[in-house]
Amino acid sequence: MQDFFFYLFSALTVLSALLVVVNPNAVNGAMYMILSFIGMAVLFLLLDAFFLAVLQVLVYAGAVMVLFLFIIMLLDVERASKVRPKALSTAAALVGFGLLVVGLGYLFLGGGSVTPAELSAAPEIPMQDGGTNPMEFATASRSFGYGLFTKYMLPFQVTGFLLLIAMMGVIVLSKRLGPSGQEEPTTEAVK
Amino acid sequence: MNQQLLTSLSEQYASTNHWAVLWPEIALALLAVLVLLVDLFTGKVKALAVPLVAIVGQIAVLFALLFKASCEFEGSGVLFSGMILPSNLSEVMRIFFVLASILVSWLGMVYLKKQYLPRMEFYCLTLLVTAAMMLLAQSANFVMLFVALETVTIGFYVLVSYGRNSAFSLEGGLKYLVLGGTSTAILLFGIVLLYGIGGNPNLPAHTTDSLNFAALEGFLAANADNFIAKIGVVLVICGICFKIGAVPFQIWIPDVYQGAPTPVTAFLAVSSKAAGFIVLINLVMGPFAPMKELTVPLLSAIAVVTILFGNLTAIGQRNVKRVIGLSGVAHAGYLLLGVVALCKGIELGAWAIIFYLFTYLFGSFAVFGVMAQVAGVDDENQDVDHYIDLARRQPFLAGVLAIGLGSLAGIPPLAGFIGKVFLFIVAFQAELYTLLGAAITGVVISIYYYFGWIREAYYKPQSWPTDKPVQPMQVCVGHKVALAALAIVTVLLGFYQGAFGSGF
Repeated sequence: MQDFFFYLFSALTVLSALLVVVNPNAVNGAMYMILSFIGMAVLFLLLDAFFLAVLQVLVYAGAVMVLFLFIIMLLDVERASKVRPKALSTAAALVGFGLLVVGLGYLFLGGGSVTPAELSAAPEIPMQDGGTNPMEFATASRSFGYGLFTKYMLPFQVTGFLLLIAMMGVIVLSKRLGPSGQEEPTTEAVK
Repeated sequence: MNQQLLTSLSEQYASTNHWAVLWPEIALALLAVLVLLVDLFTGKVKALAVPLVAIVGQIAVLFALLFKASCEFEGSGVLFSGMILPSNLSEVMRIFFVLASILVSWLGMVYLKKQYLPRMEFYCLTLLVTAAMMLLAQSANFVMLFVALETVTIGFYVLVSYGRNSAFSLEGGLKYLVLGGTSTAILLFGIVLLYGIGGNPNLPAHTTDSLNFAALEGFLAANADNFIAKIGVVLVICGICFKIGAVPFQIWIPDVYQGAPTPVTAFLAVSSKAAGFIVLINLVMGPFAPMKELTVPLLSAIAVVTILFGNLTAIGQRNVKRVIGLSGVAHAGYLLLGVVALCKGIELGAWAIIFYLFTYLFGSFAVFGVMAQVAGVDDENQDVDHYIDLARRQPFLAGVLAIGLGSLAGIPPLAGFIGKVFLFIVAFQAELYTLLGAAITGVVISIYYYFGWIREAYYKPQSWPTDKPVQPMQVCVGHKVALAALAIVTVLLGFYQGAFGSGF
């Protein structure tokens, strides 16, 4: 049953991702992207990663896609959709795609991957790691919270400053400045 | 059970959060907040008060760093559960980043006087980006590394497009945003591959904490020929190479350097490049040390192409910011020589790189200081032609320019020469003869365009009208003192290198 769902939602994810690229209409492309994200969220569910699945839907399928749609509507989509890629870039994209296929084939068919026999023989995920790793491997949202406020406290705080920079950047790049405002040049060179 | 878990968590992890160790970073972050408040509560004097608070505060941090090099702490040496690993290198780099930040704030003062732009945010962003770079230099975990790197990068997206009245600045910002986003994706993909393969329970020496540098080093030592691990290492190095502007990831450099405001160009050229190199040093000395067979040929090839590409493309440029950008690509190539030597086990390579970075800082800021003075309102249009006859209009600026450019070109007895000699010594010790050949060729080529610039400043072209009156330029005393200090340090470091020199 799980295999069936895996193949079903993998197919959904990949096909809708393909439609995002192929579809000439940008709004439809964004809609297919939501579908692709939801397919991926279900794949997370099948892996027991419930928290990630919820985040995937909330953040990506929800917030980020709304932002995408806003931008698409603000931009002049009609003109952008008429631009055809150059022959050279098409060729380069095809070569890149071919290389990617060869690389992935090498990884998964050429002995780089784990066979099912090896997978079943693999030991369980070490839970306590001999006492050096008290954080239990868990997928519950609570364990993420514990991690954030103990082990990952410093990166968590730095992220706060990252958001401050981003917010200040938006203000700097968009606030209205008049020649009569406070922020005018102070040297004679300009006047 | 929860109570028990919490106790063990706080014993294991929270107890290693020694915030006092990070006092310079915290001081800079608080200073940034203070700048915001000063801007809010001062009225008419804010044009003076904000840069004053920012610069004086940073000078205080710099002196505190110089005289009390590090804050001692009790314990096993594990900090922030292994997120942070201070070393002698990172202590020196802290001083480097604060020094660069002071000079950027000073250039920002010169630049912002001429523009219709917001003032306070520039200093605030510079402070926060510098604090993040200092964290980057000490990070010993990929989570910390990535968060600090993103803080730096997002700060730079804003700073590059800061001159938003200029189409060039916005174009530069957009290009930096798109290409920087791509490079971040490449870096992150590499990190994720390493994380995934390091946690594979089927492989020997697998670890539950494969984002930690020490744990990853143990894993890579046991699995040096694992294909996925190799791809991960290559992708991480590619992501870092974007930051230092090494070929083939140099594509953004000319346009971004030209479009960005001059102080931001200096910040990108000096601090951003130094941050990339300190990360690269930490990686090749730490987790990637067992992957020597992969990193040495990869970085050697990048170094040769970078040196030759940077120097050859810089010859044809007339815009001085593009010249600095492309010659900066070549400097990244020389510095990669030191990194390759480090990969081959020459420990001195790290100090050669750091000394070179310091000479590059003094030389570059001398040149950028002159550029900020000579530049008009059109910050992106600074051609070599604007420097014609500078020696007669403002002999002091021309002198500083000559010393700065001479140091960048590596002319004895200036600091840049000694920096290059140190790098070439470690490359020689590591038996990198092909790389040395490429580097020396590159240095010879670079003399052509650096001296072309000096020639414009000192000699008039034939077609220049002889009766044209000389227009003297006014430079205020404070700027003269700062420029003179940079020039004097550049000359002095050529004769006396202190603790750096005794190692060679």
